[in-house]
Amino acid sequence: MRGNQALQWKTFYSVWFALLLLPMGQAIAQTPVFEIEIREHLFFPAELEIPANQKIKLIIYNRDPTPEEFESYELNREKVIVGNSQGVVFIGPLKPGEYPFFGEFNLKTALGKIIAK
Amino acid sequence: MTDAVVIVLREVLEAMLLICMLMASSRAMGVRARWVVIGLVLGCLGASLYGLNLEWISMSFDGFGQELVNSGLLILIALMLAAHNFLAVQRIVDNTIKTPLVILLLICIGTVSMAVSREGAEIYLYLYAYGVLADNMSAVFSGGAIGVGIGLSLGTFYYYALSALDQRQRLISCCILSLVLAAGMMAQAALYLAQADILPSQFTLWDTSNIVAESSLIGELLHAALGYEASPTLSQALMYSGSFVVSFAVMILAWWLAKQRLLSRKA
Repeated sequence: MRGNQALQWKTFYSVWFALLLLPMGQAIAQTPVFEIEIREHLFFPAELEIPANQKIKLIIYNRDPTPEEFESYELNREKVIVGNSQGVVFIGPLKPGEYPFFGEFNLKTALGKIIAK
Repeated sequence: MTDAVVIVLREVLEAMLLICMLMASSRAMGVRARWVVIGLVLGCLGASLYGLNLEWISMSFDGFGQELVNSGLLILIALMLAAHNFLAVQRIVDNTIKTPLVILLLICIGTVSMAVSREGAEIYLYLYAYGVLADNMSAVFSGGAIGVGIGLSLGTFYYYALSALDQRQRLISCCILSLVLAAGMMAQAALYLAQADILPSQFTLWDTSNIVAESSLIGELLHAALGYEASPTLSQALMYSGSFVVSFAVMILAWWLAKQRLLSRKA
């Protein structure tokens, strides 16, 4: 009888625990990942299309030996990426539209935009 | 070279407003502003350490070490500014109150060294990679010097404008300035935390970039002085107003305590 009750409690807790973890797992699984590269102080691709109204994960690979700061006023983002390394930023959710970004250390060349559709 | 001017000036501007405000208010509380040298030296040390170690700092904490360090520094500075306001308000109410000088100095030096470390790390990385390594020293360093020069002259103007006020007015102005600076920093911290997905991601609340673009000169100045953000999210707005409310509450507490002390002395 007592063993039975303990088992009931165990099931009860594990169900709740699973329910608690479920949204976290879903959130991780649902966040789409996009990538851009910095080469010769240019962004590739310079225009990146992403789904609107959804958070995305953006991985920025810096293939140059020099550091760069990925920055955008419209996206409210700024992150320094040292040479030959990578950085991750979460972006959005964004309403449909164009969101320019730039490399602060190369203001004339390192220009790009995210297009949310 | 213009790149260097813009990059350096942008970073210097924010730190400068903070440093000059603290220099003016600490003098009004009876401390000579010489502490600023220690703050700057520690800040430069911190900046080069932060810049040198940025790679592994960025890689730690699942790739969000940079965001955590930056937001941590910003929140600490905002807290220290609230403590500064506590001391300043007591002095406004009752000028005979002895400000605990060691605490005031710790606040001033701590705030300045942390702010300079954060802003300076970027300058350090830029100057080192694009000036020293790229063998482009003269262009990058003269550009940087012009940036620092413009920042310094704006700062000097700002400092003497504050110093021209009498002690009470100066402390009141410094409290208002530090309230706004701290709020802007908390909003900036919210930005980093959202970038790292620690705060929930949100749509922006409004967009005033067609009135004042953040990239414009006025936008940059407003950002440095008031924490202006053309398209903030809810968490940024909440952190901004929350910081305002909390430091205001601290100031009211300081005011009440000082008043109590005045009354008990009269009785």
